Amino acid sequence: MKIVAKVVARAKRVHMTTLVRISAVFTILGLVLMVWSLLVPTPLPVMLAMSLGQAFGTSAFMLYLFAIFIDQRRGRRARRESQQNLQAEAERALRDREEPA
Amino acid sequence: MFSDPFKTFAIGCALLSTLLLLWFFIRKPALNRATKIVLLFGIGILPIGTAGTGNIAGYHATKETQFCGSCHVMTPYAADSTSLESTSLAARHARNGAFGHENCYACHADYGMFGTITTKIGGMRHVYEYLFHYRDTPDEEFQAEVEIRNPFRNDSCMRCHSTRNPLFNKIGDHVSTQADIRSGKTSCASEGCHGPAHPFSKEAKKRAKAVGATPQAEVKP
Repeated sequence: MKIVAKVVARAKRVHMTTLVRISAVFTILGLVLMVWSLLVPTPLPVMLAMSLGQAFGTSAFMLYLFAIFIDQRRGRRARRESQQNLQAEAERALRDREEPA
Repeated sequence: MFSDPFKTFAIGCALLSTLLLLWFFIRKPALNRATKIVLLFGIGILPIGTAGTGNIAGYHATKETQFCGSCHVMTPYAADSTSLESTSLAARHARNGAFGHENCYACHADYGMFGTITTKIGGMRHVYEYLFHYRDTPDEEFQAEVEIRNPFRNDSCMRCHSTRNPLFNKIGDHVSTQADIRSGKTSCASEGCHGPAHPFSKEAKKRAKAVGATPQAEVKP
């Protein structure tokens, strides 16, 4: 569990575009294995497609969803912070106006 | 290749997905909502389509005689069964239009509700044995040494040949041994009845015995 938490924490620091690119590369690797098994249906390609190909595809999609989730959260946080800043600025301006009186 | 709709769909989805991903790599667009939706198709929806239909196509492919014969030690068995000159039990069954193209699977698949699963697990064992023990074994030596892991079960024959058919019961030997056939005591594929199914492999065993080589009884993939 510690390792998973470490990986997630590190992934959070990585830029979203990098995560999506890694996910896209994984998808292409998975697709190559799957198409190979369809064109050459012999034991090795079929086994690789059904194990490694599936693993690549699933991890790619999970990585993509994770990247989107992190991006949405960052966006929400940025919006909230900017709203709070605006509110604080408005309060300060109000105070500044009241003080001279 | 394109006669199989699953295969065609799987390859089509893979091509579309690759095009979308190449567009993402080459054009390097900003990751806005539109790009995310395009990538959802490229990374999620289309590859899931490929995986789903590709697995079905792959599963069908593993039942084909061509697939079984792709390991060199199995090539003579597949070749014999598909040969029009051969009169072996396997060859006669391979000429059946209903299941001839997957005749290895039709006879060697386990019977019962979980037969497909146990057959596939057994198949994985075959792949393991082939890769780690028999990859470089000459065909003649393989045929002399290796036997079917468990005796061939009459249940496999009785899927089609019910043993209740009047035509079947016209034959005296069938009637006199019917109880033994149904219980599996007498094998349909035994020598003297309808077998052996792959006679050339038995000849290889006989030749090996004649020259004094002892078949390795413990090696039964």
